[in-house]
Amino acid sequence: CTKNFEVYNQDNTGITPDDLKGDFNDIGAFLTRAQRSIINFSDGGDPNSYQLQQNLNADCYSGYFMSPNPFNGGQNNLSYSLINGWNGEPFKVGYLNVMASVNRLRRNGVDTAYPAVWAVAQILQVTGMSRVTDIYGPIPYSQVGTSKSAIPYDSQEDVYKRFFLELDSASNNLRAQINGSLKPLPFSFARFDLVYDGDSTKWLQYANSLRLRLAMHIVKVAPALAQQQAEKALDPANGGVITSNTGNMKVKVLGAGFSNPLVFIAQNWLDIRIGASIQAYMSGYNDPRIGKYFDKSTDTTFPSRYQGIRIGSINGNVSKGDYTGYSSLNLTNGTPSFSITTPVQIMTAAEVYFLRAEAALRNWANAGGDVETLYNKGITTSMEQWGAIPGAYLTDNTSTPAGFTDPKNAANNAPSPSAITIKWDDAATPAAKMERLITQKWIAMFPEGQEAWTEFRRTGYPKLFPVVNNFSGGVISSAVQIRRLPFPQNEYNTNGAEVSKAISLLKGPDNGATRLWWDVQ
Amino acid sequence: RSYSQTVTITGKHLALYDIFNSISKQTGYEFVYDEKLLQGTGAIDINLKSAPLSDVLDKCLKDKPLSYAILDKIIVIRPKAVKKETPSAIQPAAKVEGTVVDAAGQPLPNVAVQVKGTTRGALTDEKGHFSLQAESTDVLVFNYVGFDKKEVTVGDQTNIQVTLTESNKQLNTVVVTALGIKRSEKSITYAAQQVSGVELTKAKDPNLINTLNGKVAGLNISPSSSGVGGSAKVILRGAKSGLGSNQALYVIDGVPMNNSLTSQPNSSFGGSGAYDGGDPISNLNPDDIESISVLKGASAAALYGSQGANGVILITTKSGKAGRTVINFSSGLTLSNVAYKPEFQNSYGQTNATNTQSWGSKISGAKDNLSSFFQTGQNLTNSISLAGGSDKMQTYFSYANTTAKGIEPTNKLSRNNITFKETGHFLNDKLTAEADVNYINQTIDNTPLSGFYFNPLTGLYLFPRGKDMQPYKDQFEVFDPTRRLMVQNWPFNEDVQQNPWWILHRDPNSLDRNRLLMNASLKYDVNKWLNITARGSMDRINDVYEQKIYAGTIHALSHANGVYVYSNTTTNQQYGDLLANFDIPVNDKIRITGVLGGSIRDVVTKGEKFNSGQDGLNIPNLFVIQNFKTFNPLNSGTLQENHSQVQSVFGSANISYKDWAYLDLTARNDWASNLAFTPSGSYFYPSVGLNVILSQVAKLPAFISFAKVRGSFAQVGNSPLAYQSNPAIYNFSAGGGFSPNTTAPFTDLKPEKTNSLEFGTEWHFFENRLSADVTYYKTNTKNQTLQIRAPQGSFYDNFFINAGNIQNQGVEAIVRYDVLRDTKLKWNTGLNFSTNKNKIIELSPNAPEFTLSGASGSNYVSKFKVGGSFGDIYGNVLQRDAQGRIMIDANGNPIKQGGEFVFLGNSNTKWQLGWNNNLQYKDFNLSFLIDGKFGGKVMSITQSVMDQYGVSKVSGDARDAGGVAVNGVDPNGNAVSKVDAQKWYSTVGGREAASGEYMYSATTVRLREVALGYTIPVKSTNFVKALKLSLTGRNLVYFSKKAPFDPELTMSTANGLSGVDIFMPPATRSYGLSLNATF
Repeated sequence: CTKNFEVYNQDNTGITPDDLKGDFNDIGAFLTRAQRSIINFSDGGDPNSYQLQQNLNADCYSGYFMSPNPFNGGQNNLSYSLINGWNGEPFKVGYLNVMASVNRLRRNGVDTAYPAVWAVAQILQVTGMSRVTDIYGPIPYSQVGTSKSAIPYDSQEDVYKRFFLELDSASNNLRAQINGSLKPLPFSFARFDLVYDGDSTKWLQYANSLRLRLAMHIVKVAPALAQQQAEKALDPANGGVITSNTGNMKVKVLGAGFSNPLVFIAQNWLDIRIGASIQAYMSGYNDPRIGKYFDKSTDTTFPSRYQGIRIGSINGNVSKGDYTGYSSLNLTNGTPSFSITTPVQIMTAAEVYFLRAEAALRNWANAGGDVETLYNKGITTSMEQWGAIPGAYLTDNTSTPAGFTDPKNAANNAPSPSAITIKWDDAATPAAKMERLITQKWIAMFPEGQEAWTEFRRTGYPKLFPVVNNFSGGVISSAVQIRRLPFPQNEYNTNGAEVSKAISLLKGPDNGATRLWWDVQ
Repeated sequence: RSYSQTVTITGKHLALYDIFNSISKQTGYEFVYDEKLLQGTGAIDINLKSAPLSDVLDKCLKDKPLSYAILDKIIVIRPKAVKKETPSAIQPAAKVEGTVVDAAGQPLPNVAVQVKGTTRGALTDEKGHFSLQAESTDVLVFNYVGFDKKEVTVGDQTNIQVTLTESNKQLNTVVVTALGIKRSEKSITYAAQQVSGVELTKAKDPNLINTLNGKVAGLNISPSSSGVGGSAKVILRGAKSGLGSNQALYVIDGVPMNNSLTSQPNSSFGGSGAYDGGDPISNLNPDDIESISVLKGASAAALYGSQGANGVILITTKSGKAGRTVINFSSGLTLSNVAYKPEFQNSYGQTNATNTQSWGSKISGAKDNLSSFFQTGQNLTNSISLAGGSDKMQTYFSYANTTAKGIEPTNKLSRNNITFKETGHFLNDKLTAEADVNYINQTIDNTPLSGFYFNPLTGLYLFPRGKDMQPYKDQFEVFDPTRRLMVQNWPFNEDVQQNPWWILHRDPNSLDRNRLLMNASLKYDVNKWLNITARGSMDRINDVYEQKIYAGTIHALSHANGVYVYSNTTTNQQYGDLLANFDIPVNDKIRITGVLGGSIRDVVTKGEKFNSGQDGLNIPNLFVIQNFKTFNPLNSGTLQENHSQVQSVFGSANISYKDWAYLDLTARNDWASNLAFTPSGSYFYPSVGLNVILSQVAKLPAFISFAKVRGSFAQVGNSPLAYQSNPAIYNFSAGGGFSPNTTAPFTDLKPEKTNSLEFGTEWHFFENRLSADVTYYKTNTKNQTLQIRAPQGSFYDNFFINAGNIQNQGVEAIVRYDVLRDTKLKWNTGLNFSTNKNKIIELSPNAPEFTLSGASGSNYVSKFKVGGSFGDIYGNVLQRDAQGRIMIDANGNPIKQGGEFVFLGNSNTKWQLGWNNNLQYKDFNLSFLIDGKFGGKVMSITQSVMDQYGVSKVSGDARDAGGVAVNGVDPNGNAVSKVDAQKWYSTVGGREAASGEYMYSATTVRLREVALGYTIPVKSTNFVKALKLSLTGRNLVYFSKKAPFDPELTMSTANGLSGVDIFMPPATRSYGLSLNATF
């Protein structure tokens, strides 16, 4: 008698699609999962995934952070000895968390039934996957989910073009929702929206801001397309961009067991501390945000101060305890800016002002102001975001970035990386203008290292301290700095033929020195 | 099993063989005889109903040149010739008397006592007593089937005490085969090897299966490194399953045992999810075991169903005996020490005062920190058994207590076993009822966790050389006034290491197991050729596991307030079968025995697990679930039931022709719940075997006593694991979220098929003094279900495939020789040889390889792909130029090759040899076993990390030598002959090592076991009937060991992590003393 066999062979701990239909959980679950995965904290307390997704690469390559932990005897991604087991996480999260969730929504019919929700899903996908392509270059995109054994890669150019199309679709749907031409949703979208509480207007403004960010990424390699997309993003007729901190794209840390992963790593694991570059710039500028960003050092062997760690300085000769007393995030001093439930920041109004300033600098249409105004607005919006008082910051034309001293090892000391000052100067050289603009933008984007690393690679600014120890075996230049991560080991193992083709799309060897498509010298 | 005393036999022209078989079936007694004796004895007409056994035997043998003797439950048939004294030329004057007893002091009746060189002799009576006439110069020869021949010179003795010892010869012995059916060994068409219970108790190990190591050809045992009570990996004829179990099936008294593993590590980090709770076989009391048969191939096992594909270890337990009461007490103490230690350098100190590594300046010697850590392990076992009964009822009761502690402090095991077995005979002995209950309670404290996390050995080994470790031992915790708590006292903050004593006392784990194993059977003799048996059994194992991680444990592994892990799991196996056993003598020449039956097996695991994880506890160090900060479904919740049910019908027939040709046929069909949602709900598998006793067919030279050839083919089907065809679509995720399952459903799944072919031959020479048994086998496993990693762009992380063809082939050989047989000093020796070659002939076209275990953080992966073999190790290597020179970068560091891992070796033993010896002189008995495992390569991550930290001896030697000598080349193409030791080992060593530099030959030859026994002579009339003292040693000497660890040890007894050492506790060397008394 085998009539119970189907009952026996049913995982009692699993959830069926029918179980999820109630209360529209089959929509909400995946929408929230995609939101929590862009910077991944979807698995709750243990931020191991985020640590490899971003914290031990982009967050440090951007100059924001450095780990005091000599992982693998100091031979790791932070000294350019790229670790196989570390390089696959951004990829994995991109597909299994972000895209798979969006794919489930489509399979559950959201794209046709609830176009406005689908629009948000598409925006989340572009947000998440643009970060993935900006790490590896070519990625599987147009043909994902078509096979279990071979998934072709698209060139980064094709991926970017697809992003723009998807943003077109999302923006159209959102505009339709805003002007009331879509049926009202039968459920409360706010319940499933950890970013804008179901506000379609804010989503539309974020979509336009994202388009502007992506357009700027490709300005060197495809200037015409970049200008066209940027102007489209900035065209007021299309709904506008983020203009105030209430429109900042950040994912709320709500629900039992979820934590801001960056805070968790800094606070519970003591695995991340402030990078030397950001500390040197902000100290040199007497930046009023410095106390909002950082705690002072707690190491008793030198006076308490804002003290960062040089990237690549944590080699086999130091132990973790030597550097955990260096400056951490602002977790304790004063009214801390960071706590375990601090929303996870992905894009700010300040960044958008700096993007508009660059558009104005390039004389593109619809920037909505002159460069100086937009530049200053970027800074003041950031100050406002962090509750800092600008004072005379905007008019400071003398302060320059400080040099770096390591109180524990003078070998890590470095002179000031740049002479760039704060106050806008229309008479400066184009390079100085660009440096000034990107430097301030970089300070304002803290602590989101992924976009900061992308912008550093695109523009060469700010001028970051190079790695102290370079264990890449001569592959990655310390001066040029790392340009990408190699394709994941798992892709070689499971999708080898397609990886070979992807390497030809990459137009260079699969290592950390090869420049991405948009990364034109 | 029952022993009926009355027999009903009617028929004409019955061969003696058939009568014996019928008696055996009816009574449960076994016959032991030399086949040749029955030749030409003719047929008998007989008509006896419910006659006493002795009457039947008397009548059968009345006119034959044969006599019989009943010993225990064995009926020995032997020539009658010596019964009558034959007058000889000289009548000796003196009368000599004596008594013959067995090793247990029991009198042996019907022993043939012969004056050497004459035909004079006598038989012993029921009290083992004999008397005859002999001269003082005469030599008396004592001969008894099943025992070693013994010669005693009369001298001036008039009352001679003789103790005969059971022989190891297996001619005509009975082997327990599938479903508990007993057959004479010579009729078996496949390779089987029997081991007596004595072998298991000679030198005891907390896991009894470890005592079989080296004693059975083709049986590959890898004990877990997880301390006392740990499991063992037991593989027959090579691993074949990537995802399922490769372990042999254990069958106890005919009922398959659920040997599912509690948990095994599968990553280099180890940690709390990776404890080894001991396999169910390890729970048994070795003193309860009468014998073990190892059926090596699938053909032996076709009747057990899928699980039998990996071979079967059949365990027969002891029962009560009619008419005799025996109380047996045994007590044994074994002490164990580490068999080796890693090698350290003693000349270079800590890099600097706060550094974790030892690349500092010269020091004058360093302490051996290991000896202040490891302790002497102990294993104290006491057991008592009472057996007895009447013709109608037999009872067996036993109790055993095992108390053991491991070589790591705080690792303890405590086990109590209680067994009660009752057999009763009803309805004129036609109905036999038997039931037994076994209760086992076992507690294991602080199972050593291998790997990087929660392992005291990392901190112990990596501690800077020359720095004093004693303060950290004396005071593993200190008061933290800012928290008002005791916190860890350790100078380093690094995920891979903690204060070893902190781990022992403040990160403890414990496993409490309660197990109830119950069996009941009813057997009814319908008529003389048919009986019906119904059996049922229940095996319920409840495990409660806890790990308490105290506040003060390093941040990477614990929340600031601590972590609590608790799981409560119950695995319940229910088994039932109904068998019709038939035994039909078709005519004089042909006879058919066999079985038809059906069975049902149902296994369910239930339970729950709670792990506070990194979210931690509210109040520090309070380990209850209420204290959890949050509940994360990724760590905690209801466990998967993994409910699997298999229903089967099967049949077998054994057709014999004139006692020299045997044909075995079996067939089975299984319906498996795990195949629900697939096109095939059931699968069928047959087997066939043929066996010819050449020595009975053809006239062979006299020196050949026995010759047999055999061959068999078997197919075994296997169902996939639960839920593979129907995985959950969504799973619970953190904070009330849900996530899509990253495992793709496998709806076109097919059941796995293993085809197994074997040929064997067995030869005995010189009156069985020398024997050899050789088997060749080949198995091909097809349609295997494998879980394959997916490209993540598929939205899946992994998926299942039915994989092509995994082949194992090899040879097993057993040679035995009685070097000294008829002398005072007796010596018999035996060799067990086996070799296995595994080859992946084919996998699925869309899955070129399969990963068994990958270890992020150790640059190691165990996988197989087409053309490779099971358990191939891949890793990272150094980059070399076209001339093979190691590339050195501009800073003088060697360069590791990136990209894909490369093949480094295979950990499987290529061939193994066990050499077993038994020597006996008077009341002393010495046995020793030397075994060698040859070939294979293993990896030591322990060594690579020790090298990187500069604590290893090689790192010191390299510094003494001014660097590591290499054949290298710098970026400018200049040759480099020496690399700075620190630069070299910082790159080459470590967790992300160039693991290719850390491969070692797995060849190991050792003195596995030595046992010296002394049978203290006691009178059989005493209160104490027999007394034996033994001194034993295990794993005493490595004659050859090339790796820095014992390659036999394994971190996991599941399929992963084979051949890789990641801070495993060292193997042990043990010495024991045991006492055995029979009352």
